Amino acid sequence: MAKKDKEDDEFRPTGTIAVLAIFVVTLIAIWATIYVILVQRGGTL
Amino acid sequence: MKQYQVSTAEKKFIGSHLLVAILALAVGSLFGPLQAFEHAGWDFYPYLRPLIKSYYQGLTVHGVLNALVWTTFFIMGFLTFNVIFGLKRPLKNPVLNKVGFWMMVVGVVTAAVPILTNQATVLFTFYPPLKANWAFYVGLTLVVVGSWVEGWGLFTTYLAWRKENANERTPFIAFASLITTLLWQICTLGVATEILTMLLPWSLGLIEGVDPQLARTYFWFTGHPLVYFWLLPAYISWYAFLPKQAGNGKMFSDTLARLAFWIFLILSTPLGFHHQYVDPGVPPAWKFIHSMLTFGVFFPSMMTAFTVVASLEHGARKNGGKGALAWIGKLNWSDPSVAAQLLAGILFFFGGIGGLANASYNINLVLHNTAFIPGHFHLTVATGVTLSFMGISYWLLPYLTGKKLWQPKWATIQAWAWFVGMIIFSNSMHVLGLLGAPRRVPLNLAPYVPAEWNSRLIQVGIGGAILFFSGFIYLLVMLKTALNKETVETEVEVPVAESLQDVSLTPEWLDRWAPWIYGTLALIVVVYGPVLFDLIKNISLTSPGFRVW
Repeated sequence: MAKKDKEDDEFRPTGTIAVLAIFVVTLIAIWATIYVILVQRGGTL
Repeated sequence: MKQYQVSTAEKKFIGSHLLVAILALAVGSLFGPLQAFEHAGWDFYPYLRPLIKSYYQGLTVHGVLNALVWTTFFIMGFLTFNVIFGLKRPLKNPVLNKVGFWMMVVGVVTAAVPILTNQATVLFTFYPPLKANWAFYVGLTLVVVGSWVEGWGLFTTYLAWRKENANERTPFIAFASLITTLLWQICTLGVATEILTMLLPWSLGLIEGVDPQLARTYFWFTGHPLVYFWLLPAYISWYAFLPKQAGNGKMFSDTLARLAFWIFLILSTPLGFHHQYVDPGVPPAWKFIHSMLTFGVFFPSMMTAFTVVASLEHGARKNGGKGALAWIGKLNWSDPSVAAQLLAGILFFFGGIGGLANASYNINLVLHNTAFIPGHFHLTVATGVTLSFMGISYWLLPYLTGKKLWQPKWATIQAWAWFVGMIIFSNSMHVLGLLGAPRRVPLNLAPYVPAEWNSRLIQVGIGGAILFFSGFIYLLVMLKTALNKETVETEVEVPVAESLQDVSLTPEWLDRWAPWIYGTLALIVVVYGPVLFDLIKNISLTSPGFRVW
């Protein structure tokens, strides 16, 4: 039990940071792509 | 440790919600693929003419049954379960909950009659001046009021628990479910006001005209928080159940989870104008304020993403997961409930990105009313929410009925098929929107479709076909499970994840309701009050009703 608690205490969500970093990069890339596509099209439909 | 036993009567009551929800999904899902097939040039609507008169009637059935009925019934059932199981006590006034449930059922039937008889082909947003038969509005009102009554049943149950447990932290699943219920009670005031003060008297001939601008403002007062009413139950599952199912993980931060729910309550409602960027009656300054608040919701969303992924990682690491991303492979992907919710979460990431694009004023002006929008909400409500609910039902139905899940492998295939089908469908819809394809249009009949849309329209049809297959498998698994002669040996364990931190260390102010409720109401008054006051003061009940179908 004590070992488990120690494992829990030592847990650092490094993989989570990696996942969220990928998410943020993807977000910026997609948002910028949408923006550029629409600007290229003249911004009107 | 022995789990709290939910009574058989309460299990049946919760199961009744699932039954109505799944029936609604079954009928509504027949029409989703028909819309997609129509886009691809495979128009089946002429063959349905004796029953369904038009593309728009099919779209109304699809939207009302899937976006409103399937979700609301599933959610009320799931929240009821969470409150009972979380608080470890029966409902305080079960009659109240039953009255609410039956009001909702009567409401659905009342609204279904005009929809199926082509008297209410107004889509699920029922924007005036499109005018439906009065029974449609009465039915919707009963569904909303019924859900309020059920919510009051949950609140009285909480108050009874609080009286007996004055110093305890509210268990998370009950806490988050009660916030979701409260959010719904507050935000539906908009649509209730719209129907009761305008649409219903108008449809009954008591007033001659309607004010579409004011009606839209009331609608979106409810319409965007409705998205959070759909999402928060999925989040509850992702926070509190999924980590346990996916690898015996623990919830990373009870404090962060509770704080996220309070912020969702505060920020969900006062941002409806981002759906009205092109409405001329809303001053630009208020649109700007609502757009900033919309971006504000990004923070509790990211807090949720962080806590949920960290909770999953916690379990995966304990099971030998390594690396920055390889640990994901150690999650329990063979469990259909887990696979469905993980896949829902992955696509929801992209739905969130599309949502930020929609919320951006300049981009919204060119994406508004294009196919991008249904592409977006099929990633959020039709996947993040619906696929999660499907995943939840893979353990909840066996728990409620004591029957073994029929063919778990098929259930897993169903989840993957939904994932693949939705990628194809939704990606095509997003691209079509960027190319200028309008939404809510039977594009197969449109004379202006350029050649560059054609391959994407075919993909919409292919995606729709895969989704139809997946939906069919889901319904088959549910039906076969409900009728399964094989019963579970021991009661299905409710997979509630423990908190990684000692829950008693969660700050007490996160369990006090009054300040958060006052703050929520105050913000709504500040950012909606002036515009609503102005619109009501200058109300113009002059627009006649239109029936364009």
